[in-house]
Amino acid sequence: MSIQQPVLELKNVDIGYNDALVNNVIARVLPGEIIAVLGPSGIGKTTLIRTIAGLVEPLQGEVTLQTNKKGGLGYIPQRLGLVRHASVRHNVNLGAKASIGFSKTMFEERRNRVEEAVKALGIEDKLKEPVRRLSGGQLRRVATARALAQRPQLLLADEFLSELDHQNVEVVIEAVQQLLKDGTSIIMVEHHIENVQLFATRIWIIKDNQLHDYSLKEWEQSLEEEE
Amino acid sequence: MRGGWIIAVLSLLLLAWFVLNDLVDDWGRLEGGMDNLVIFVEESMWPPNWSVLEAQSYPVCENDIELFCSVGYLGMMETIKIAFVSTMLGFIGALCLSSLAARNLVPLYVALPFRFILAATRSLPSLIWAILFVIVIGFGPLAGVLAMTFYTIGYLGKLQYETYEGMPSDCLEVSRAMGLSHPSTVVSVVIPETGNHLLSQLMFMFEYNVRHGTVIGIVGAGGIGYYITTYLKFLQYDKVLALLIIIFLVVVVIDLLSLMIRSFVTDEGDVRRPTWLKGMIKLWKKRGSSSDAE
Repeated sequence: MSIQQPVLELKNVDIGYNDALVNNVIARVLPGEIIAVLGPSGIGKTTLIRTIAGLVEPLQGEVTLQTNKKGGLGYIPQRLGLVRHASVRHNVNLGAKASIGFSKTMFEERRNRVEEAVKALGIEDKLKEPVRRLSGGQLRRVATARALAQRPQLLLADEFLSELDHQNVEVVIEAVQQLLKDGTSIIMVEHHIENVQLFATRIWIIKDNQLHDYSLKEWEQSLEEEE
Repeated sequence: MRGGWIIAVLSLLLLAWFVLNDLVDDWGRLEGGMDNLVIFVEESMWPPNWSVLEAQSYPVCENDIELFCSVGYLGMMETIKIAFVSTMLGFIGALCLSSLAARNLVPLYVALPFRFILAATRSLPSLIWAILFVIVIGFGPLAGVLAMTFYTIGYLGKLQYETYEGMPSDCLEVSRAMGLSHPSTVVSVVIPETGNHLLSQLMFMFEYNVRHGTVIGIVGAGGIGYYITTYLKFLQYDKVLALLIIIFLVVVVIDLLSLMIRSFVTDEGDVRRPTWLKGMIKLWKKRGSSSDAE
């Protein structure tokens, strides 16, 4: 049996801006895992995601990304990071651009990826629409489509299911299944327990400046015990 | 708090007054100044001499429409051409340099040298650039184009990198995390996101260059300024006034054009599509559909 290489490894990492919010994080993420990061507001969930994305330097320790292809890391921040004055097509195409290099067939390949992604998210009729005209739920679909077109090995998503009604959550989760089939791992910050149960395979809880790593089963058991 | 502001503004005004008083050694000069101006305008400038819109005696006009051979038309067209080409070249040059000078796009050690380059190009006024290029390549519109291009790069470059630095950080962070290259980020994220501001700055610069075309013409760098200098030398102020009115009208038209162009870029920003333009578009669509039906 071959041992799976982790896509992400955190070794004794201290996370924060000036003072550490989370100390001595030791964790690894294997291909295909879906990790939900839980904890109260201001505890350091977003900072953890930003540190993994390379946007914040860790105060101490080592963050090793083993994404070995172009555009291997996908990111959906809380504010979604969409180009508001550009069209839906332009925004989704950014994801494809990040992962497809210059080649003879790149334009066709990008177009195919964009079309597949918007179809999966049900926004194919909005392709030419400027992003600024879309509703909150539609914006989240566009950000997800961008990640889908990118096909990253590790996707970092900060509350990308929030503000979505139940029906939209199902559409987004169904679309993301395609990424999971390709072996993408996901680390997502999430507040809604029902979304976590629907989707996650492992749980990271930040509590008392420490990151606690649970399997979904262990976490559900702890919830039952608390009740 | 409001009282504090009022005191601060009043103190600044008082300081300005003291500085002005220090600069002016003889206030008596203001006496009768207005009368001098009225006499000068009435006797030398008014009414404007519209012969500047008649064909010149030499070279012989071969065009059916006399206006196209006039000093006013030829000079203005040359100024507009110089302004257009130099604005375009300057805009492209500024785009390349400003993206390397914005602190949120590149590290400080890259941004600083490019900021110095832009500051250096901007610190020489276009008139000095024009003198330099007239010395290097001689009189004519090419010297004007080069002078204005250099000034435009410095001026627009600063406006552009300040616009980039004020844009929302989330889309830049996404492109950085996704691994998009610097040119890709600039072309696909920064320019589309700040497009309305860039367009507005471009139109402002074009208008500025048209107005400044008159100044650089004075040193022989082509355009309507050349004719203004000639008329000034021969004390034909009525003709100068006519040319200044033409420049004013062109500036107003550019302003309207800017309003129209920017209205196509955004539908929720600072510019709404003018009512007359909406009416024209409606009419044009109506005509299109009726001709299709026929």
